[in-house]
Amino acid sequence: MAATKKISLTEDDLVRALRGHETIAIQALYDMYSGALLGVILRIVQQSEIAEDLLQETFIKIWNSADSYDSSKGRLFTWMINVARNIAIDKLRSKDFRNSHKNQDIENNVDFIDSQKKITFNADTLGLRDMVTALKPEFNDVLNMVYFKGYTHVEAAEELNLPLGTVKTRIRMAIMELRKHFN
Amino acid sequence: MEESKAYIETGILELYVLGQLNAQEQHEVEAMALRVPDIKAEINAIEIAMEEYAVSHAIQPTLGLEKEIFERIAAPETTQPSAPAAAENTGKIVPLYDDRSASTIKTLKFALVACVALLVVSSVALYSAHDKLNLANQQIASLSTDREKFAATVSYIKDENKDLQEIAAIAADPTWSSVKLAGTKISPQATMMVYWHKKGQHVMVDNTKMALPENDNTHQYQLWAMVNGKPVDLGVFDAQTQPKKLLLPMKEVGNAQAFAVTLEKRGGSVTPTMEKMVVVGAVSI
Repeated sequence: MAATKKISLTEDDLVRALRGHETIAIQALYDMYSGALLGVILRIVQQSEIAEDLLQETFIKIWNSADSYDSSKGRLFTWMINVARNIAIDKLRSKDFRNSHKNQDIENNVDFIDSQKKITFNADTLGLRDMVTALKPEFNDVLNMVYFKGYTHVEAAEELNLPLGTVKTRIRMAIMELRKHFN
Repeated sequence: MEESKAYIETGILELYVLGQLNAQEQHEVEAMALRVPDIKAEINAIEIAMEEYAVSHAIQPTLGLEKEIFERIAAPETTQPSAPAAAENTGKIVPLYDDRSASTIKTLKFALVACVALLVVSSVALYSAHDKLNLANQQIASLSTDREKFAATVSYIKDENKDLQEIAAIAADPTWSSVKLAGTKISPQATMMVYWHKKGQHVMVDNTKMALPENDNTHQYQLWAMVNGKPVDLGVFDAQTQPKKLLLPMKEVGNAQAFAVTLEKRGGSVTPTMEKMVVVGAVSI
């Protein structure tokens, strides 16, 4: 994406600035990752207005709980994605969200996957999606349920009526495919 | 090496990166990662893959969202949430808070205008009340004067009434003698009535039945009793068109054959000036 003005820092610098509560850190994080985080959140909650609210909350949470990030346990961006996913999944499972979006109850989410893709996958990702689905659609489905739909892997196993071991394997295989693709 | 490979192949590291493990399992993975560099590297590779996956699904947020977030971050630390639920709350509260402060200012403006209006109305009302109070005070003062006048009048009328009753009682009482004094040569028109209670020695001059020429400031009339041919002073009095008392008590006398009035210098004389005698009358037995 064309972004000459956007701020980009190394991960170490970012972590240091974030811990020091320097606003440049949150600006850099926003410039670098807001799109990816919104993509994850939107795929979970399905509504762009709610998704943007949750994106705000995500950045506030990242800002306020920077101290709880431990770089020895994982990458900063992964931590941020997990913050965003947790906020979105909490919202998805909250009573008010479920009451106002009855047709998006957890039970129905699997039926939505295809239609959701139509709505939210942008042109940039078509190639990727084609790649993933072409290779192993069933692997990809399990990964997406967990990564984008708010399922736990146990719930995904129940939903797909598969042994837990199979679900774990499929997730691993899907990620292996991704690694191959991105490397 | 074989051990770590088997561990990696269980798929637990993927679940770790996806946040699918419970706290204990997470600690185990983290402990393994610290000990075994291969595992650490594997986790890192999975993380990068998932990050790339997320980036490949990126959707650019609406312009302006960034500004909102920075404003919230720059705002006072009071909006600092710790739990996701709290974060969710502040997400809704912060704009509401702004709205509320704006509406509070608006309310305060209205209140200020209302206060000024109230002040003006109050001032007018106070001024008008002040005027009315002045008027009322004047009325009270004049009513009070009137009341005093009436009280004086009532008191005067009471005294007069008392005297009249006494006159009536004297007229009806046989122990009182009424002595009519007739005019002399120098004042043939003059006439006057004296009441005498012989036993009690009381002498009263009846102002209602007095018809004497008014005396001036240097002279007074003096009443005399003729006791065995000698004049006895019974005191002085004034002849006025508006007498203060109807019944005038004089000095006492127990035995008198006649009463006479002479005009003397103010304060009276020791002996009567006979040529200035205006009325005289004998006591009728």
